[in-house]
Amino acid sequence: MADLAPPTDEALVAASMAGDEAAFAELVSRHKRRVFAAAARFARDDHQLDDIAQEVFVRAFRHLGKFRGDAPFEHWLSRIIVSACYDFLRKERRVREQVSLDGSEWDMRDAGIDAAIAAGRARELVHWALARLSPDEQLIITLAELEERPMKEIAELTGWSESNVKVRAFRARQNLKKILETTHER
Amino acid sequence: MNDNFDQKLDALFAAARTSTPDTARAEFAFETRLAARLRAENSGSIFAWAWRLCPFFAALALAVGWWSHSTQRTEAVSPLVSETAPANDDQLLVAYMTGDHR
Repeated sequence: MADLAPPTDEALVAASMAGDEAAFAELVSRHKRRVFAAAARFARDDHQLDDIAQEVFVRAFRHLGKFRGDAPFEHWLSRIIVSACYDFLRKERRVREQVSLDGSEWDMRDAGIDAAIAAGRARELVHWALARLSPDEQLIITLAELEERPMKEIAELTGWSESNVKVRAFRARQNLKKILETTHER
Repeated sequence: MNDNFDQKLDALFAAARTSTPDTARAEFAFETRLAARLRAENSGSIFAWAWRLCPFFAALALAVGWWSHSTQRTEAVSPLVSETAPANDDQLLVAYMTGDHR
């Protein structure tokens, strides 16, 4: 009887490295939902979302040889996602330094936390406030607060030490509070 | 006040977590776009390799040039010997060969 079980991620990785484009396309199909969900926390529009997702899979393709299979493929991919998102935030930071953050976002500044939650715009308010933090702080708040990942896992994903992650997370939260308190008091 | 604001912040994060953006539009035909980019980068990498090989080819051209030049010099010396041979001047030829000729 033929084995009809779908190939494992490890088998698809091996086939992709041997030049099988269909195998890599299958890997992309399996994991793109996770990549898009993570990237959507950082991107402001579909164009940026597509850029980040493409960057993740291009990096994955280039470094397939480094996947040893001692951990699930999605864990390995998660590190690439975090790295690509972090690089995106740093690049975006340079762009934003040249372009004013004000303008169309005036209404978000006036919203306040309660009003934003009530209006179903919590995500927009968080996004607006995060844009005023450094890339490190944005990343740590996203991973710790929005994705609720444990500090140990964040340390593995970012390559920072666990104590460093805790310190950064604390400072990032303090800075975010300052930004939102200012908004709240308006 | 501060604890109160921490609670508000936690509530904001909790609300933000529940709202998941719809990425279906961006996901549409993603595999096709990605494959096109990977192909473009692969073809680009061939040109990149060609540029990286430039020093090697330059060194090879120099080596061939030097070899060609040195071969011509060897040929340029041989007529001297051949000039002595037709005259059957054996002594002169031996002197050339042994280095006694000044």
